[in-house]
Amino acid sequence: MSETGTRYPTSSHEYEHLRPLFTELASLEADDPRRARIRDKLVTGHLPLAEHIAQRFSGRGVAKEDLVQVGTVGLINAVDRFDAERGADFLSFAVPTVMGEVRRHFRDTGWLVRVPRRLKELHLSLSNASTKLSQELGRAPTPSELAEHLGISKDDVYEGLEAGNAYNSTSLDEVLTADSDSAALGDLLGAEDAGLTGVENSGALEPLVAALPDRERKILALRFVHNLTQTQIAERIGVSQMHVSRLLARSLTELRRGLSEEDIPD
Amino acid sequence: MTDGTGKGSHDIELRLPADLVQLPIIRGLASTIATRADFDLDAIADLRLAVDEAASTLITKAAPESTMVCTFTLADDELRFTGRVLTREQQAPSTGTFGWRVLTTLTDSATGWIAANGQGNLMHIQLSKRKPVATP
Repeated sequence: MSETGTRYPTSSHEYEHLRPLFTELASLEADDPRRARIRDKLVTGHLPLAEHIAQRFSGRGVAKEDLVQVGTVGLINAVDRFDAERGADFLSFAVPTVMGEVRRHFRDTGWLVRVPRRLKELHLSLSNASTKLSQELGRAPTPSELAEHLGISKDDVYEGLEAGNAYNSTSLDEVLTADSDSAALGDLLGAEDAGLTGVENSGALEPLVAALPDRERKILALRFVHNLTQTQIAERIGVSQMHVSRLLARSLTELRRGLSEEDIPD
Repeated sequence: MTDGTGKGSHDIELRLPADLVQLPIIRGLASTIATRADFDLDAIADLRLAVDEAASTLITKAAPESTMVCTFTLADDELRFTGRVLTREQQAPSTGTFGWRVLTTLTDSATGWIAANGQGNLMHIQLSKRKPVATP
């Protein structure tokens, strides 16, 4: 990755007006209610910085929205850790912090194995094309429809789809967006006829389902109680079908693992 | 019963240790076959999850050190998966579990049975998934 030579707004006059806020923040007691507001202002005011850096890393197989989120996490860390009294410039502190966060995202939560950039990009364009075609067709596209839409060979489609299996299911937005739709839990466990209360291992299942992250529980309910397709779920939740698929796989594995621990071998 | 080496068989067969570490190979093959048969992405993903679920059920019921055999049959617009393992169980896999709910939701049909084969009991799970009828 070549970070050098590209320009991000380090000429601090763009953020000059925010400087006094750091001094103000430093002067407040740790439990001062005003701190939160100033911190928010600082983060919001510096957001273009996170966006610039995210932009620089885009086109590498990770969605730009994800990168902006990661960059923002880095920015929040930078605001929290910055010590205005040491006289350093915030930007010279923040830029490496935000970049470090983005790089860590690529390393830890992006692709599980080393996948050539061409394949990552191919996978991303397949994912985008799939979302678009699903809307047009009212169902998920087939590999040959994807090939035709993108003007590439079917073999390339196969390769790109397969590359997706090397993608880590832990995506940043799962960590950042708290989706507290507790109705989903009711869907799975509560409703007498629609839920899972009829299944014979529901007693063991209940705590396992309850332990899943909110969004995974919701997706599980939409697929296995409401019988929506993965594409319909993707539309409703606002992620790609491929992502829904990965989350379902992870939830099911988690439930199976939990249930097998319950099993007493005879 | 044939041994599958004769003419005219289009089945794809996989023999491997009945061990959970083998799951990625089985689901990988399932999605490769479904992808190349041009199932839509939902069906491919569902089949992958279903095969994973069925295979792991069979593996947990398999006799120690035994072998699992997976057969994939593609006929017309239907892909059929059949998995079988040697088991000490006497009964077909229960259809009342959450796992079975998963199988029936993800596929068009799911069947489980036990058949004796001389050495013992073979537990089978068969799944089939059809391409949705095309709407022009």
